[in-house]
Amino acid sequence: MSEHRTTAVDEVVQIEHFTMAFDRHTVIGDLSFSIGRGETFGFLGSNGSGKTTTIRALLGIYRATSGTLLINGRPFAPGNGTQLGYLPEERGLYKKESVIDVMTYFGRLKGMAHDQARRWSMDYLERVDLAEHSSARLDRLSSGQQQKVQLGVTIMNRPDLLILDEPTKGFDPVNRRLLFELLDEQKRQGTTVMLVTHQMDEVERLCDRIVLLKNGRAEAYGTVTDVQDRYGGLTIRLRATGPIPVSPQYTEMRRDGDDVELAVADGADPAAILRHLVESGVSVSQFTTGRRSLDEIFLEVYGVDRGEPTR
Amino acid sequence: MTSHHNLRTVFTFELHRTVVKRRFWVATLIVPVLIVTVFSLSYVSNRSAHRAQSAQRHASFSFAYTDASGVINESIATRLGGVRISSTSAGIAAVKHDRIAAFFAYPAKPAIEPIKVYGADVGVFNNGKYAAVATQLLTASAAATLATPVIGVYVRGAVHVTTTTYVNGVASPGLNGLIAPLLYLLVFYLLIALLGNQMLTSTVEEKENRVTEMILTTVDARTLIVGKILSLFSAGVLQMLVFTIPVVIGYAVAGSALSLPSIDVSSLVFALRPMVIGALLLLGGFTLFTGTLITIGAMMPTARDAGGFFGAVLGAIFIPFYALRLIMSHPNALIVQVFTYFPFTAPVTDLLRNAFGSLSTLTAAAVLTELFVIGAVVIRLAIRLFQFGSIEYTRKLSITTAVALLRRER
Repeated sequence: MSEHRTTAVDEVVQIEHFTMAFDRHTVIGDLSFSIGRGETFGFLGSNGSGKTTTIRALLGIYRATSGTLLINGRPFAPGNGTQLGYLPEERGLYKKESVIDVMTYFGRLKGMAHDQARRWSMDYLERVDLAEHSSARLDRLSSGQQQKVQLGVTIMNRPDLLILDEPTKGFDPVNRRLLFELLDEQKRQGTTVMLVTHQMDEVERLCDRIVLLKNGRAEAYGTVTDVQDRYGGLTIRLRATGPIPVSPQYTEMRRDGDDVELAVADGADPAAILRHLVESGVSVSQFTTGRRSLDEIFLEVYGVDRGEPTR
Repeated sequence: MTSHHNLRTVFTFELHRTVVKRRFWVATLIVPVLIVTVFSLSYVSNRSAHRAQSAQRHASFSFAYTDASGVINESIATRLGGVRISSTSAGIAAVKHDRIAAFFAYPAKPAIEPIKVYGADVGVFNNGKYAAVATQLLTASAAATLATPVIGVYVRGAVHVTTTTYVNGVASPGLNGLIAPLLYLLVFYLLIALLGNQMLTSTVEEKENRVTEMILTTVDARTLIVGKILSLFSAGVLQMLVFTIPVVIGYAVAGSALSLPSIDVSSLVFALRPMVIGALLLLGGFTLFTGTLITIGAMMPTARDAGGFFGAVLGAIFIPFYALRLIMSHPNALIVQVFTYFPFTAPVTDLLRNAFGSLSTLTAAAVLTELFVIGAVVIRLAIRLFQFGSIEYTRKLSITTAVALLRRER
């Protein structure tokens, strides 16, 4: 794999040669990547590829078999200086307690004074239309309302680092929108975000860099464009009649009737390709260039159904 | 600083949510309510029984009697409404035909043969008056044969005895010295019985609610567990106060009317050595059991799974009572020695031995060291298992996995 190590001096997350084994079964093998301050980083992979394990090891919940996992230059421990907002994949709160008590509790544990935590919580609940439920037990709220409370707890006290593990999992469209609004806000405030998701459109929109994890190893790592370039780079989508001639300038990747997709070879010029096609007698009615979507790359890397590679 | 802030926060949160629960107050109040109920019933029963006994002793009814013993005093019998006859069958017939209320047939040797009493049925409870009067007539007649009435008191053994024993030349406190150290045992039982289940489920709750990861990345596991233990202990102290205060007030206000054993609080002896050792045994035992219960909770996926172990824990604190007599009389017996040093039977056994004065300072020191060291190890284990095992949301943490986690931890 071509690894583009960040040159950012101010790295919030540093993972080097991380290996994790359970009962002699290696889940993560020699994984290295870093996340710069203020960056939004996509941590991608199919189910079971080791994303959650990596996050748990980064946060000290699991002890790594070997390797270095640092946040702000040291192993993470609660209260060691890093304000962390973590939305785990397995999520829940103290269901038999009131909304305001739970939020205030977490606010206090995150270093806020009691009144400050309570005030912040009430402001947040106002914003998400839950103020009237502040005294209600969490289990009396709908799952969507509970998700809003969970999000509030995650972003309390201006986190330096937000780790969101499948944040949209189980979220209704309203809460998804709220999540991304909050995420945009956090980005604007300079919060570093580590985002685990299967929503590739979100990744393309939000992430500065990504790592694709496969079988516990980094399959691809870099900016979104880097990864797109690596998995086909530039593509040409065209509507054409007649057979596409073979050429070293491109590879025919897909044909569905008149719709054709070509992968452009490194250094090849799309305009020259168009000329070549026309001169070869191909009738072209539409011609667009672009990069392969992350969704397509994801499917290619992990396979459609079984997470099996397609190449 | 942060650690203290977080410990205080966890403690306050856990204590608050424990004491605002209806379940807590039901468990807390059920003991004083039961005590008050039992005492009230006892009071009412005692009064009515006392009245009934008195009424029966002084019941006035016509009766006849035969006396093969020659003990019955005729003038006393007449005063009680009795007439001496010579035929048993005539007496029984008179009762059957309602000519007299009762007939007593005194045997030749009342000390070894029963007095036969026949009477008209006046109900299960009132029928007792016949036997009461027949016995009273015999007792009064026998007493009348003695030289002085006070001899009768001696014969009945109705005398007071005060006993003074010495240990190393110093008068020992006796029963008054037992009560105070035994209170630690009572407190220990109440703490485990009332809070044990909460200890088991206090860590399961994080797992069941899927809040483990969020909480463990916000506060370190040790602060969380220690905060929980302190809040449970405080809740236990609150429970003690809630059901001790009404009992003390009730005893002070109406103790004499409730036929309670006469307890003169001023005569209780609070000797320093057994009180200090008792307090330390209570603390050590509480530490060990809390750690054990939390460890079990950390390994179980649900409160239901964890609850199954509570019976085993209760068993451990009740088993020493099977050897109670040996603990009190033969502290060197093998089984007592095993219970003395086995960590889970040691608190109860040694609290008993401490109260009864058979726990040497050396043995106490050894047991206390054992309890605190093992307690600390178990709490550390509980913290580690909670930290690494509570992510196993849906399945039990196997012993193998737990050992592997701890090995990796080292």
